[in-house]
Amino acid sequence: MDSSLLANAETVVARARTGDTEALGELFRAFEVPVYNLARRICRTTEDAEDVLQETFFEVCRSVNRYREEGSLWGWIRTIAASKALMRLRRNKYRETEELHDEVVGNRREDTPLRMDLEAALERLSETSRAVVWLHDVEGYTHEEIANMMGKTPSFSKSQLSRAHARLRNWLGEEMTP
Amino acid sequence: MTHLTLDVLVGLRDPGTEPGHATAREHLNGCPHCQAELQRLDQRVARLKALPALRPARDRWPETRARFQAERRQRRTRMVGFTGLAAAASVALALAVGDFSRPVEIDADQLSQVMERSQVLESALSDYNPEGRVLDGRTARIAGELEDLIARVDRELELTELQRQQATDQDLLKLWRERVGLLDALVDVHVTRASNAGL
Repeated sequence: MDSSLLANAETVVARARTGDTEALGELFRAFEVPVYNLARRICRTTEDAEDVLQETFFEVCRSVNRYREEGSLWGWIRTIAASKALMRLRRNKYRETEELHDEVVGNRREDTPLRMDLEAALERLSETSRAVVWLHDVEGYTHEEIANMMGKTPSFSKSQLSRAHARLRNWLGEEMTP
Repeated sequence: MTHLTLDVLVGLRDPGTEPGHATAREHLNGCPHCQAELQRLDQRVARLKALPALRPARDRWPETRARFQAERRQRRTRMVGFTGLAAAASVALALAVGDFSRPVEIDADQLSQVMERSQVLESALSDYNPEGRVLDGRTARIAGELEDLIARVDRELELTELQRQQATDQDLLKLWRERVGLLDALVDVHVTRASNAGL
Protein backbone atom coordinates (compact mmCIF):
# COMPACT_ATOMS: atom_id res chain seq x y z
CA MET A 1 0.00 0.00 0.00
CA ASP A 2 2.96 2.33 0.68
CA SER A 3 3.87 2.67 -2.97
CA SER A 4 0.28 3.37 -4.01
CA LEU A 5 0.03 6.14 -1.42
CA LEU A 6 3.55 7.50 -1.65
CA ALA A 7 5.64 6.55 -4.66
CA ASN A 8 9.01 7.60 -3.23
CA ALA A 9 8.38 6.56 0.37
CA GLU A 10 12.00 5.70 1.18
CA THR A 11 13.32 9.07 0.05
CA VAL A 12 10.59 10.96 1.84
CA VAL A 13 11.18 9.03 5.07
CA ALA A 14 14.93 9.68 4.84
CA ARG A 15 14.24 13.41 4.49
CA ALA A 16 11.65 13.35 7.26
CA ARG A 17 14.22 11.78 9.58
CA THR A 18 16.39 14.86 9.19
CA GLY A 19 13.50 16.95 10.51
CA ASP A 20 12.53 18.29 7.09
CA THR A 21 8.99 19.57 7.65
CA GLU A 22 8.27 19.53 3.94
CA ALA A 23 8.91 15.78 3.89
CA LEU A 24 6.79 15.35 7.03
CA GLY A 25 4.08 17.30 5.21
CA GLU A 26 4.35 14.87 2.29
CA LEU A 27 3.84 11.96 4.69
CA PHE A 28 0.79 13.73 6.10
CA ARG A 29 -0.72 14.30 2.66
CA ALA A 30 -0.08 10.72 1.57
CA PHE A 31 -1.64 9.04 4.60
CA GLU A 32 -4.10 11.67 5.82
CA VAL A 33 -7.20 10.04 4.28
CA PRO A 34 -6.62 6.42 5.40
CA VAL A 35 -5.70 7.62 8.90
CA TYR A 36 -8.77 9.85 9.14
CA ASN A 37 -10.98 7.12 7.71
CA LEU A 38 -9.75 4.62 10.30
CA ALA A 39 -10.17 7.18 13.09
CA ARG A 40 -13.65 8.18 11.94
CA ARG A 41 -14.79 4.57 11.69
CA ILE A 42 -13.71 4.01 15.29
CA CYS A 43 -14.55 7.37 16.92
CA ARG A 44 -18.03 8.73 17.29
CA THR A 45 -17.53 12.29 16.07
CA THR A 46 -15.69 14.01 13.26
CA GLU A 47 -13.99 16.23 15.87
CA ASP A 48 -12.58 13.20 17.65
CA ALA A 49 -11.42 11.71 14.37
CA GLU A 50 -9.70 14.97 13.40
CA ASP A 51 -7.99 15.07 16.78
CA VAL A 52 -6.81 11.49 16.27
CA LEU A 53 -5.50 12.49 12.85
CA GLN A 54 -3.49 15.30 14.40
CA GLU A 55 -2.27 13.17 17.33
CA THR A 56 -1.20 10.45 14.92
CA PHE A 57 0.90 12.71 12.72
CA PHE A 58 2.34 14.57 15.68
CA GLU A 59 3.58 11.18 16.86
CA VAL A 60 4.82 10.34 13.34
CA CYS A 61 6.81 13.61 13.27
CA ARG A 62 8.33 12.90 16.67
CA SER A 63 9.20 9.28 16.13
CA VAL A 64 9.91 8.86 12.42
CA ASN A 65 13.51 8.23 13.50
CA ARG A 66 12.34 5.13 15.32
CA TYR A 67 10.59 3.67 12.28
CA ARG A 68 12.78 0.68 11.40
CA GLU A 69 11.37 -0.14 7.94
CA GLU A 70 10.79 -3.73 9.06
CA GLY A 71 7.15 -3.53 8.10
CA SER A 72 5.32 -1.24 5.74
CA LEU A 73 5.21 2.48 6.40
CA TRP A 74 1.43 2.38 6.29
CA GLY A 75 1.42 -0.51 8.79
CA TRP A 76 3.50 1.58 11.19
CA ILE A 77 1.37 4.71 10.80
CA ARG A 78 -1.84 2.68 10.99
CA THR A 79 -0.84 1.12 14.31
CA ILE A 80 -0.16 4.58 15.75
CA ALA A 81 -3.54 5.76 14.45
CA ALA A 82 -5.41 2.75 15.82
CA SER A 83 -3.79 3.17 19.24
CA LYS A 84 -4.64 6.87 19.31
CA ALA A 85 -8.25 6.19 18.29
CA LEU A 86 -8.67 3.50 20.94
CA MET A 87 -7.07 5.79 23.50
CA ARG A 88 -9.60 8.45 22.57
CA LEU A 89 -12.44 5.96 23.08
CA ARG A 90 -11.14 5.07 26.52
CA ARG A 91 -10.69 8.72 27.42
CA ASN A 92 -14.14 9.75 26.34
CA LYS A 93 -15.80 6.79 28.02
CA TYR A 94 -18.79 7.14 25.80
CA ARG A 95 -21.90 5.29 26.68
CA GLU A 96 -22.70 2.41 24.41
CA THR A 97 -24.24 3.60 21.17
CA GLU A 98 -27.31 1.50 21.56
CA GLU A 99 -28.10 2.97 24.97
CA LEU A 100 -27.68 6.45 23.56
CA HIS A 101 -29.71 5.54 20.54
CA ASP A 102 -32.54 4.35 22.75
CA GLU A 103 -32.52 7.64 24.59
CA VAL A 104 -32.28 9.82 21.54
CA VAL A 105 -34.78 8.16 19.30
CA GLY A 106 -37.01 6.96 22.13
CA ASN A 107 -40.46 6.63 20.69
CA ARG A 108 -39.18 6.74 17.15
CA ARG A 109 -37.90 3.19 17.37
CA GLU A 110 -40.95 1.93 15.51
CA ASP A 111 -40.05 4.17 12.60
CA THR A 112 -36.63 2.59 12.24
CA PRO A 113 -36.53 0.96 8.83
CA LEU A 114 -36.27 -2.79 8.81
CA ARG A 115 -33.31 -2.64 6.50
CA MET A 116 -30.63 -0.12 7.41
CA ASP A 117 -27.79 0.63 5.09
CA LEU A 118 -24.38 -0.61 6.08
CA GLU A 119 -23.05 2.84 7.06
CA ALA A 120 -25.97 3.41 9.42
CA ALA A 121 -25.73 -0.08 10.86
CA LEU A 122 -22.01 0.29 11.47
CA GLU A 123 -22.57 3.65 13.12
CA ARG A 124 -25.19 2.11 15.37
CA LEU A 125 -22.83 -0.50 16.80
CA SER A 126 -21.26 0.15 20.18
CA GLU A 127 -17.91 1.93 20.14
CA THR A 128 -16.01 -1.20 21.09
CA SER A 129 -17.80 -3.51 18.68
CA ARG A 130 -17.34 -1.10 15.82
CA ALA A 131 -13.66 -0.73 16.58
CA VAL A 132 -13.20 -4.51 16.63
CA VAL A 133 -15.16 -5.00 13.39
CA TRP A 134 -13.17 -2.32 11.63
CA LEU A 135 -9.76 -3.35 12.90
CA HIS A 136 -10.34 -7.05 12.24
CA ASP A 137 -12.46 -7.20 9.11
CA VAL A 138 -11.22 -4.14 7.25
CA GLU A 139 -7.73 -3.37 8.52
CA GLY A 140 -6.81 -7.03 8.94
CA TYR A 141 -5.57 -7.03 12.54
CA THR A 142 -5.67 -10.38 14.36
CA HIS A 143 -7.63 -10.83 17.58
CA GLU A 144 -4.32 -11.00 19.45
CA GLU A 145 -3.23 -7.65 18.05
CA ILE A 146 -6.59 -6.05 18.78
CA ALA A 147 -6.53 -7.46 22.31
CA ASN A 148 -3.07 -5.94 22.83
CA MET A 149 -4.16 -2.53 21.62
CA MET A 150 -7.34 -2.60 23.70
CA GLY A 151 -5.80 -4.09 26.82
CA LYS A 152 -8.27 -6.99 26.64
CA THR A 153 -8.09 -10.68 25.83
CA PRO A 154 -8.34 -12.26 22.36
CA SER A 155 -11.55 -13.95 23.51
CA PHE A 156 -13.02 -10.53 24.22
CA SER A 157 -12.17 -9.42 20.71
CA LYS A 158 -13.66 -12.60 19.20
CA SER A 159 -16.90 -12.31 21.12
CA GLN A 160 -17.23 -8.61 20.24
CA LEU A 161 -16.80 -9.49 16.58
CA SER A 162 -19.43 -12.20 16.50
CA ARG A 163 -21.88 -10.11 18.53
CA ALA A 164 -21.32 -7.24 16.13
CA HIS A 165 -21.96 -9.46 13.12
CA ALA A 166 -25.13 -10.82 14.70
CA ARG A 167 -26.38 -7.25 15.13
CA LEU A 168 -25.34 -6.16 11.67
CA ARG A 169 -27.09 -9.18 10.21
CA ASN A 170 -30.32 -8.27 11.98
CA TRP A 171 -30.18 -4.58 11.17
CA LEU A 172 -29.36 -5.25 7.54
CA GLY A 173 -32.30 -7.61 7.25
CA GLU A 174 -30.08 -10.62 6.54
CA GLU A 175 -31.69 -12.91 9.10
CA MET A 176 -31.04 -16.59 8.59
CA THR A 177 -34.02 -18.58 7.55
CA PRO A 178 -34.22 -21.90 9.41
CA MET B 1 -30.29 -30.49 12.25
CA THR B 2 -28.16 -28.13 14.32
CA HIS B 3 -26.49 -25.45 12.27
CA LEU B 4 -23.24 -23.67 13.03
CA THR B 5 -23.55 -20.62 15.25
CA LEU B 6 -22.38 -17.24 14.06
CA ASP B 7 -19.54 -17.45 16.59
CA VAL B 8 -18.22 -20.54 14.86
CA LEU B 9 -18.74 -19.14 11.35
CA VAL B 10 -16.89 -15.93 12.26
CA GLY B 11 -14.08 -18.06 13.73
CA LEU B 12 -13.83 -20.15 10.59
CA ARG B 13 -12.95 -17.05 8.57
CA ASP B 14 -9.74 -16.57 10.59
CA PRO B 15 -6.55 -18.30 9.54
CA GLY B 16 -5.34 -21.10 11.80
CA THR B 17 -7.23 -23.96 13.32
CA GLU B 18 -8.93 -23.91 16.66
CA PRO B 19 -10.35 -26.89 18.55
CA GLY B 20 -13.63 -27.85 16.97
CA HIS B 21 -12.92 -26.20 13.63
CA ALA B 22 -12.34 -29.54 11.87
CA THR B 23 -15.79 -30.78 12.90
CA ALA B 24 -17.32 -27.44 11.99
CA ARG B 25 -15.73 -27.53 8.54
CA GLU B 26 -17.02 -31.02 8.02
CA HIS B 27 -20.53 -29.82 8.82
CA LEU B 28 -20.10 -26.77 6.61
CA ASN B 29 -19.09 -28.85 3.62
CA GLY B 30 -22.34 -30.75 3.73
CA CYS B 31 -24.72 -27.96 4.80
CA PRO B 32 -26.02 -25.50 2.18
CA HIS B 33 -27.71 -23.46 4.92
CA CYS B 34 -24.43 -22.80 6.76
CA GLN B 35 -22.60 -22.26 3.46
CA ALA B 36 -25.13 -19.57 2.59
CA GLU B 37 -24.67 -17.95 5.99
CA LEU B 38 -20.89 -17.95 5.62
CA GLN B 39 -21.27 -16.45 2.17
CA ARG B 40 -23.47 -13.67 3.60
CA LEU B 41 -20.79 -13.05 6.22
CA ASP B 42 -18.09 -12.86 3.54
CA GLN B 43 -20.22 -10.48 1.50
CA ARG B 44 -20.83 -8.26 4.52
CA VAL B 45 -17.10 -8.02 5.17
CA ALA B 46 -16.47 -7.29 1.49
CA ARG B 47 -19.06 -4.49 1.65
CA LEU B 48 -17.40 -3.08 4.78
CA LYS B 49 -14.08 -2.99 2.95
CA ALA B 50 -15.73 -1.30 0.00
CA LEU B 51 -17.24 1.55 2.03
CA PRO B 52 -16.03 4.89 0.68
CA ALA B 53 -13.11 6.49 2.49
CA LEU B 54 -14.17 9.34 4.77
CA ARG B 55 -12.14 12.52 4.45
CA PRO B 56 -11.41 15.23 7.00
CA ALA B 57 -13.39 18.42 6.52
CA ARG B 58 -10.43 20.67 7.18
CA ASP B 59 -6.69 20.67 6.81
CA ARG B 60 -5.04 19.66 10.10
CA TRP B 61 -1.46 19.77 8.82
CA PRO B 62 -0.72 23.44 9.71
CA GLU B 63 -1.72 22.80 13.33
CA THR B 64 0.19 19.53 13.48
CA ARG B 65 3.31 21.14 12.01
CA ALA B 66 3.09 24.12 14.37
CA ARG B 67 2.74 21.82 17.37
CA PHE B 68 5.71 19.74 16.24
CA GLN B 69 7.84 22.84 15.65
CA ALA B 70 6.90 24.22 19.06
CA GLU B 71 7.94 21.00 20.70
CA ARG B 72 11.14 20.92 18.69
CA ARG B 73 11.91 24.48 19.81
CA GLN B 74 11.37 23.57 23.47
CA ARG B 75 13.60 20.54 23.07
CA ARG B 76 16.18 22.73 21.35
CA THR B 77 16.11 25.27 24.16
CA ARG B 78 16.74 22.51 26.67
CA MET B 79 19.48 21.08 24.46
CA VAL B 80 21.09 24.52 24.08
CA GLY B 81 21.30 24.83 27.84
CA PHE B 82 22.87 21.41 28.20
CA THR B 83 25.32 21.32 25.29
CA GLY B 84 26.14 24.98 25.78
CA LEU B 85 27.21 24.38 29.34
CA ALA B 86 29.09 21.26 28.32
CA ALA B 87 30.91 23.02 25.51
CA ALA B 88 31.82 26.04 27.59
CA ALA B 89 33.01 23.84 30.44
CA SER B 90 35.08 21.75 28.09
CA VAL B 91 36.85 24.76 26.55
CA ALA B 92 37.36 26.37 29.95
CA LEU B 93 38.83 23.16 31.31
CA ALA B 94 41.18 22.79 28.36
CA LEU B 95 42.46 26.32 28.94
CA ALA B 96 42.76 25.89 32.70
CA VAL B 97 44.72 22.65 32.69
CA GLY B 98 46.62 23.38 29.53
CA ASP B 99 45.35 20.55 27.39
CA PHE B 100 48.06 20.53 24.77
CA SER B 101 47.01 17.23 23.24
CA ARG B 102 44.86 19.17 20.80
CA PRO B 103 45.04 22.72 19.66
CA VAL B 104 42.70 25.16 21.40
CA GLU B 105 41.96 27.64 18.69
CA ILE B 106 39.43 29.81 20.46
CA ASP B 107 38.97 31.17 23.92
CA ALA B 108 36.02 30.27 26.11
CA ASP B 109 34.66 33.82 25.98
CA GLN B 110 34.05 33.67 22.25
CA LEU B 111 32.00 30.51 22.56
CA SER B 112 30.15 31.77 25.63
CA GLN B 113 29.22 34.98 23.89
CA VAL B 114 27.80 33.19 20.87
CA MET B 115 25.88 30.79 23.08
CA GLU B 116 24.52 33.63 25.18
CA ARG B 117 23.37 35.37 22.02
CA SER B 118 21.69 32.14 20.94
CA GLN B 119 19.85 31.93 24.25
CA VAL B 120 18.73 35.55 24.01
CA LEU B 121 17.28 34.87 20.56
CA GLU B 122 15.60 31.65 21.72
CA SER B 123 14.08 33.59 24.56
CA ALA B 124 12.87 36.33 22.19
CA LEU B 125 11.27 33.69 19.98
CA SER B 126 9.67 32.02 22.94
CA ASP B 127 8.22 35.37 24.11
CA TYR B 128 6.95 36.07 20.63
CA ASN B 129 5.20 32.66 20.62
CA PRO B 130 4.95 32.12 16.84
CA GLU B 131 2.77 29.00 17.29
CA GLY B 132 0.07 31.09 18.84
CA ARG B 133 -0.10 33.42 15.83
CA VAL B 134 -1.52 33.16 12.37
CA LEU B 135 1.14 33.37 9.67
CA ASP B 136 0.62 34.15 6.01
CA GLY B 137 1.71 31.40 3.64
CA ARG B 138 5.00 33.03 2.58
CA THR B 139 6.12 33.84 6.12
CA ALA B 140 5.15 30.35 7.30
CA ARG B 141 7.19 28.80 4.48
CA ILE B 142 10.30 30.89 5.19
CA ALA B 143 9.97 30.33 8.95
CA GLY B 144 9.56 26.59 8.35
CA GLU B 145 12.69 26.48 6.19
CA LEU B 146 14.67 28.34 8.86
CA GLU B 147 13.36 26.00 11.56
CA ASP B 148 14.54 23.04 9.46
CA LEU B 149 17.99 24.58 9.02
CA ILE B 150 18.26 25.25 12.74
CA ALA B 151 17.23 21.66 13.44
CA ARG B 152 20.01 20.50 11.07
CA VAL B 153 22.61 22.66 12.84
CA ASP B 154 21.39 21.34 16.19
CA ARG B 155 21.88 17.78 15.05
CA GLU B 156 25.39 18.66 13.89
CA LEU B 157 26.06 20.28 17.24
CA GLU B 158 24.90 17.16 19.04
CA LEU B 159 27.15 15.02 16.85
CA THR B 160 30.09 17.35 17.35
CA GLU B 161 29.57 17.17 21.08
CA LEU B 162 29.55 13.39 20.91
CA GLN B 163 32.78 13.39 18.92
CA ARG B 164 34.66 15.97 20.95
CA GLN B 165 37.90 14.10 20.56
CA GLN B 166 37.91 14.60 16.82
CA ALA B 167 36.15 17.91 16.62
CA THR B 168 37.93 21.18 17.16
CA ASP B 169 36.54 24.03 19.19
CA GLN B 170 36.61 25.98 15.98
CA ASP B 171 34.03 23.54 14.58
CA LEU B 172 31.84 24.16 17.59
CA LEU B 173 32.15 27.90 17.32
CA LYS B 174 31.34 27.78 13.63
CA LEU B 175 28.18 25.76 14.26
CA TRP B 176 27.07 28.00 17.11
CA ARG B 177 27.61 31.07 14.92
CA GLU B 178 25.60 29.47 12.15
CA ARG B 179 22.87 28.73 14.66
CA VAL B 180 22.81 32.33 15.87
CA GLY B 181 22.66 33.60 12.29
CA LEU B 182 19.67 31.38 11.53
CA LEU B 183 17.92 32.29 14.77
CA ASP B 184 18.50 35.96 14.00
CA ALA B 185 16.87 35.45 10.63
CA LEU B 186 13.95 33.59 12.20
CA VAL B 187 13.35 36.34 14.73
CA ASP B 188 13.54 38.87 11.89
CA VAL B 189 10.98 36.95 9.86
CA HIS B 190 8.53 36.84 12.74
CA VAL B 191 9.10 40.32 14.11
CA THR B 192 9.21 41.99 10.69
CA ARG B 193 6.04 40.25 9.74
CA ALA B 194 4.43 41.31 13.02
CA SER B 195 5.46 44.95 12.61
CA ASN B 196 4.34 45.01 8.96
CA ALA B 197 0.99 43.59 9.92
CA GLY B 198 0.75 45.93 12.91
CA LEU B 199 0.53 43.00 15.34
